[in-house]
This record gives sequence, structure tokens and C-alpha cells, in this order.
Amino acid sequence: MSTPLLLYIASVLGAIALVLMMPRPGNRLAPLGALLGAATLGGCWLAVAFNTGLIHDFSANTLGLPATTFIYFYIFSAIAIAAAVRVITHRRPVYSALWFIMVVLAGAGMFLVLSADFMAFAMIIIYGGAILVTYMFVIMLASQPLEPGQEDQAPAYDRFGRDPLWACVAGFLLLAVLLTVSFDNPDRPTMLANPDAKMASDAEVLRDTLTGRGLDAENSDELASSPQFTADRVSNVERVGLDLFNKHPLAIELAGVILLVSLIGAVVIAKTHIPPGEQHPDPESAAAKAAQTQGGAA
Amino acid sequence: MNEMLTPLGLSHFLMTGSILFVLGLIGFVTRRNLIVMFLCTEMMFQGVALALVAFAKFHGNVTGQTFVIFVLTIAAAEAALALGLVVMLFRRRGTLDVEAWQTMSG
Repeated sequence: MSTPLLLYIASVLGAIALVLMMPRPGNRLAPLGALLGAATLGGCWLAVAFNTGLIHDFSANTLGLPATTFIYFYIFSAIAIAAAVRVITHRRPVYSALWFIMVVLAGAGMFLVLSADFMAFAMIIIYGGAILVTYMFVIMLASQPLEPGQEDQAPAYDRFGRDPLWACVAGFLLLAVLLTVSFDNPDRPTMLANPDAKMASDAEVLRDTLTGRGLDAENSDELASSPQFTADRVSNVERVGLDLFNKHPLAIELAGVILLVSLIGAVVIAKTHIPPGEQHPDPESAAAKAAQTQGGAA
Repeated sequence: MNEMLTPLGLSHFLMTGSILFVLGLIGFVTRRNLIVMFLCTEMMFQGVALALVAFAKFHGNVTGQTFVIFVLTIAAAEAALALGLVVMLFRRRGTLDVEAWQTMSG
């Protein structure tokens, strides 16, 4: 069996599993979908992790990570994918947001496996800390009062998906294409390792930094190899910082402008006056109306 | 044992990243709750960020990680604006259902 065929089968099974798990009133097949999804993902990974001959070996694009890290990758990846499925299938927005924090934490774990320490912690602080708290606030502010007698039920628009079948077909078609491209095929070497790709050594980074400060090359070479510099390693944060401020000064300015514009925009949106005629009178009648239309549809 | 295992490659991370991206896409298309839809766009950002960091490691170039900082910047700006809009839309219609705004599609 060739690699693309295996990936197509996995995509089709994953699509079926997700369709079964999508929110639908009286959905009894959700556990079956979860089981099928877990089996698909597990089977796919067994084929990927072991040299079973089902997947071409990708010695061409290894990352040079120590062999012990692979278990962490599989754990974090499984958590991230399971939590992501929960985000899009849960009926309560609050729980969707909580599961999204799980996705962020697992993603940060995968960043650590890739030795991107700074990005991992920035992810947790900015996403898990700042953005998700804002989401929580809005969920609390804008939640609809539940209909009397149906307090355990979510509103109708959370209980029904909108064409989950076609969305899953389109999504997993895209996934099949992406996987076919990203998995290496010896006949079609799309992602061979760049022969020049080598992380710059600490001494090189130090020399570049010192040369940039106006020291001439020989002098900075000497400085960079002096014991006080070679004693401590150049950390990931320092590398990212040097790259950010040395090579992308314009992009930093643009990011600052975008943040300023969005700050002003958020203030303008928050202060927009809604004329009383367009304001919704009270949310309870909206719930009653929604119940009516839903009853009419049924 | 270790000879049987394939080493962790770029493809592993691209696979996880593309699965996260596609799940976010499906959630964005199917869910009708405005807040959950924006949560799904954040999930698509997660998938892209993972691919960027994996490529940074693969090519031995930190610029991929630097770009994730800009992705985070855009995500923060987007969350601030989108959530402000969601609160305003909720005050007008009293519901978070996107289909309450179907007249906007023309």
C-alpha cells in the first residue's frame, strides 16, 4: 500500500468520525464517532512511528531531535487533536474555550519539543492568559438566558451545526491534499533537507552581534571566542530577539501600528451608540422567539 | 527497538499542524455561535504557528519563530476587535446566532 492511499483512507475515516461527533439533537452516535476517530489517529500514528513499510521513511527530513523526544510529541499531539475536536463539537461555548486552552497548552508542549522555549511560554501567556480571558468575559457578557424548564439545554444555534457533512467533506479533502504534500515521497522529493541548513553556532551568533556593534571582524572574533562569552550559551530567547530586532525592524513598526489601530478601533466599537429603535428590547423575548421558530421548524 | 522507530521528522509536525488547521476550518464553517467561530480561527492560527516553528527547526533558521510573534500580534488585535463587534451585535439582536445576520449576505 502506498503512502498517499493510506493517508486518503485515514482522511475518509476521520471525516466520518467527525460527522458522527458533530452536535445534533439526540445524537447517540457521538461515542462511536469518538472511538472511530481515536482508532484512525492511532492507526495512522502506528504506521508513521514504526518502520512498517506503509509510510516511506523520511530520513531526508529529520529534525535532528533526540530519540527520547518522540514520545512527548505523540502525547502532546494526541492531546491537541482531541481537545481541538472537543472545541468544535461541544455545545457550550464556555467549555469550548476551556478545551481551547488545552489545545494551546499541548501546542506549547510541541514547541518545547522543537526547542522553541520562548514561543512556548509566549503562547501560554498570551493565548492561555490574555486572549482566552477576554473570550471568557465576552461569553459571560453575551450569554443568552435559557428558556424556563430547559436550563440544561443549550440554545438552538449551539445544538445544530450548519451542514456538518459538507464542511467535513471539504475540510478533510483539504487535509488529504496537505498530508500528501507534507509526507515525503522518494519519487517526488518536495521537502528534502536544505544542505546549508545548520543552526548557527553560539560563537557565530555572538560574532555577528559584536560585528554589528561596530567592532571590526578580527576583534569581534577574538572577543566571541573569549572565555567570558563562550561560558554561557546563547539561549533561544536571545536568538529570537536578535533575529527580530536585527532583521525585521520594519515589521516591528508595522506590528506596532496594527496594535494601535486595533486599540483605537476597539474603543470606537465599544463607544458606538445604538439607537433605541435598533437595540434589542430584552433578551428573554428573543429566547421565546427562538423557541417559537424552532417549534415551527420542527 | 529504536531502530524500528522512525525519527521525528518535519512531516510529523506538519501533519499535526494541518489537522489543527482543518479542524479549525470545519468548526468555523459549521458552528453558528459567533464566539465559537472566532475561537476556531484562533485554532487555525495554532496550526499555522506549529508549522512555522517546525520549519524554523528544519531549516535551522530562527525567522520562523520570529514570525510566530507577529502571528500572536495579529491574533491579539483580531480578538480585541472581533469580541468588541460580537458584544455590539449581541446588543442589537439579543442572540449570538450568525443566521440572525443573514440579511447582510445580500
